Amino acid sequence: MTLPVKSFEIFCGTGGVGKTTLATSRALCLADLGHRVLLITIDPARRLKDLLGLNLDSVGEVTEVNFEGKKLHALLMSPEKTILRMAAKFKTPDLASNRIVQILSRPYGGMNEILSLVEVEMQFESGNFDIVVLDTPPGAHFLDFLEGLGKIRSFFDQSFVEIFTYLGSKTAKAGKRVFGLGIINRVISGGLKKLLSYLQNVTGTQFIEDFVEAVQIIYQSKDAFMKGLAVQDKLKDRKYCNWFLVTSVEQGKAQEAIEMKSHAIHFIHEDHFLVLNKCLEQEMKAWHPTKDKLIQIKDSFQGREIELKKQLKASFSNVLEFPEIISLSPSEHIKQLTLRWNAHVLQN
Amino acid sequence: MSAQPRRLYIFTGKGGVGKTTLSKAFVQYFKQNNQEALYLTFRNQAIGDKHEGNSEVTKNGIKEIYLDLEECAKDYIEKKLNSKLVGSWIVKTPFFKSLVNMVPGFSYVIYMGRILEMGKENPNLIIVLDAPASGHALTMVESTTNFQQIFGSGVIFDDTAKMLSKLNDPAYTKINVISLASVMSWQEAVELKTGLNERTPVQVDITVNNALAPLLEGNTEELPVGIREKILNEKSLLDEHASEMRCVLSHSLGTNYAAIESDLVGSLSKLI
Repeated sequence: MTLPVKSFEIFCGTGGVGKTTLATSRALCLADLGHRVLLITIDPARRLKDLLGLNLDSVGEVTEVNFEGKKLHALLMSPEKTILRMAAKFKTPDLASNRIVQILSRPYGGMNEILSLVEVEMQFESGNFDIVVLDTPPGAHFLDFLEGLGKIRSFFDQSFVEIFTYLGSKTAKAGKRVFGLGIINRVISGGLKKLLSYLQNVTGTQFIEDFVEAVQIIYQSKDAFMKGLAVQDKLKDRKYCNWFLVTSVEQGKAQEAIEMKSHAIHFIHEDHFLVLNKCLEQEMKAWHPTKDKLIQIKDSFQGREIELKKQLKASFSNVLEFPEIISLSPSEHIKQLTLRWNAHVLQN
Repeated sequence: MSAQPRRLYIFTGKGGVGKTTLSKAFVQYFKQNNQEALYLTFRNQAIGDKHEGNSEVTKNGIKEIYLDLEECAKDYIEKKLNSKLVGSWIVKTPFFKSLVNMVPGFSYVIYMGRILEMGKENPNLIIVLDAPASGHALTMVESTTNFQQIFGSGVIFDDTAKMLSKLNDPAYTKINVISLASVMSWQEAVELKTGLNERTPVQVDITVNNALAPLLEGNTEELPVGIREKILNEKSLLDEHASEMRCVLSHSLGTNYAAIESDLVGSLSKLI
């Protein structure tokens, strides 16, 4: 098995498996090899935030992190800050000042997944980094992030474009915010008029006006969103992207890891790694209890882990194992795991 | 049964803490106390091609409901516009589909609306919601307020106001945050509780699940160093924050789901 270094390293997995800690330690390992690394993370636990120096002021900003002499950059996703960067980069100031966009880009407005795609691409384009390590959002569905690609595409799909190009041209002629329901009522395209008039019965008229304005403004930033789609090609490219599908012994969810792979099948390439975190097998092998209850515990722990590995190895050709780190200190976890990453690199 | 149960219990917490297991065991608990409860979760977060519809199964004697976003959206619009045809047409338009998918918070409003509707239809029903993990739970709780602000007026505005009066009613709704007995997990649970408290006045309790320490009480001298340290860490966490924990549930040695569940059921009265 080889563990090469690639420009884009992506960590996927259900919550609680240690994804953020593994991504952070991987980023440190890469930084230690001399690469300019950016770690992008979403919603890590507070102690990890502290550890990375991602305090309130730096949320949403690329921040230099110095971890025991190793330097890297980290970015804690903030939808609001991403919107500001998009507005500045693509010169669409309305995007940042629109009321609906503002409400939706609150920290928990639900836009994290989609905007993180846009953010990744903007960071690649900046040319400041050799490697982006991405800790994907822990979703109810772990592929929310990847599915964001399809969502962007369908949001800006052709029928939609026509309508708002039409609305856009009306607005451009008469200055800002002239179209109201009058214009919508004149739109004869794809049933939108009918749809909006139905929606109006439910949502009230003010909303329809605000909404059309918001969509129109988002349309002005279409390029920024569409650029996020470039990420998809990178994900498929085995020369460019390292995939780490993370699961943990603690959760014993072999089936979930296998499903994760099958769901990701449209995005992933063949050379991916299954990362099995929090292994206790070595520890258990060296333990020889005499009391019945302890023997029962040992058998239960060891049995579950061996069975899990068997199932995983049947479905994944590259499995990387990481031990459970027993320590109260997150920096100790990161330190130990960074050493493990080094060892995995050196094995080759 | 000690306390008068609420109507809606939301289970959340970091991934892998046992939300699903505990939610189902909690329904089982109500069943054993002769109360009508059901397990409910969301099937999907987007309107897409894997449209399977709402479904209902009975497993181990409890009713489990899996809600489908498209169907819930269709039912709502149908009801509001008084037309089945228009409802199913609207959710099929690319416009509506891509809008809901681009703005995930909206899906939570649709789901929560449906849940509260179910509660209204059957005044004896207790709904146990196996909700999304941490950050998404905040999105879920915040969305109804966000969309109320976005709509400003109209039928949806009125409906979201009605929803909020239930979701924010401490006598109606309660949130159980589940944590493991590790420092990282505990801190995330506390952060989540703080975030929830900022967004809703309902009671938010933290329950620690899968603790090894109580199971090994008095048996620690023979443990391997790593495990002993893990248990000592657990113990110090459990002691230090005992007053902030609603309930501590021990690791179950059960080898299958039914055995784990029956281990848990007896200890769940505090989650009411």
